[in-house]
Amino acid sequence: MKYSLVLVTLLSVASFAANSDASKQVAPEPSTITVVCPTGSCTKPSEVQKVEVINPVEIAKTKEVEPPKPKPQDDVLSTKEPLLISVVGQGVAPVNTSSPAQAYALAKRAAVADAYRLIAEKVKGVRIDGQDLIKNMMVKRSTVRTSVQAMVRNANIVETTFKEGLCEVEMEITLSRSQFPQ
Amino acid sequence: MRSRDGNHSFTLSISSIIFALLYSSALFADEYIISYRYSVKNATLYNETLYVSKAMKKCKGTPYNSLILDVTKSENLKEILLNNQDEFITFLYKIGLHVEHHEETLNGVNDSSTILTLPSKCFKVDFNDNFVKIAPLK
Repeated sequence: MKYSLVLVTLLSVASFAANSDASKQVAPEPSTITVVCPTGSCTKPSEVQKVEVINPVEIAKTKEVEPPKPKPQDDVLSTKEPLLISVVGQGVAPVNTSSPAQAYALAKRAAVADAYRLIAEKVKGVRIDGQDLIKNMMVKRSTVRTSVQAMVRNANIVETTFKEGLCEVEMEITLSRSQFPQ
Repeated sequence: MRSRDGNHSFTLSISSIIFALLYSSALFADEYIISYRYSVKNATLYNETLYVSKAMKKCKGTPYNSLILDVTKSENLKEILLNNQDEFITFLYKIGLHVEHHEETLNGVNDSSTILTLPSKCFKVDFNDNFVKIAPLK
């Protein structure tokens, strides 16, 4: 009998302790809406202002903004369609040429080199370096250096025109995803 | 003159001639190292160089993308290539060229130079009576 009484008291003490722990965890107060009358004598319901007091815990809950999901980037080269790059290179013949045919041939070489450079610029990109020297609030020297280095394969000459010493070469290159190792 | 084995030497020489005729193209095939470079300065051709040399040791790889040039009988490859410059250079565009371009604008005055290079590459060249077949090795 004694032991049963002791057991009952122990159980009651344990349950009391558990209740006190639960009461310590304060439940977040819900948001309250307070009615405010700015003039002091509000007769019409339209004059009454409602002020909502939001519990900071709720604010913290609601303010949890999800990080923006990264959008799937559109690849420049799609798997299905190849990309066609077209450029027009220009070149001029040297002054001292022995014949118009030689002038044409030399101008074409220069135009092809220009077209190759344009393709390389489009596909691989350009390295740009700039430097300005300013002395006594005046620009003394302004320099812009650009450079391109690339290996260009399978470029095709589409059209060549030669007019008034200027040769224009239209070149095309087709890029497909399979050409680049993934 | 008959040998002790009957007509053995005669048949051997005939068969060797037939073999040589059949595989004549293979007998005249050679490997060459070719490189090409030209530079353009301010949109004007400045310098152009074609280097042709016989390969001193056997090249590895298989021929691809061949070019056939119609020529009169000549075994000097550089001469053949210079005579058919346009075709050969168009062929080089397909193989691929290395582009190096530098441009400088100093106080608004522009100066540019572009160098196109075919890096030294091994080509298999088959000399025939009326044509030459050139194919790079990969």
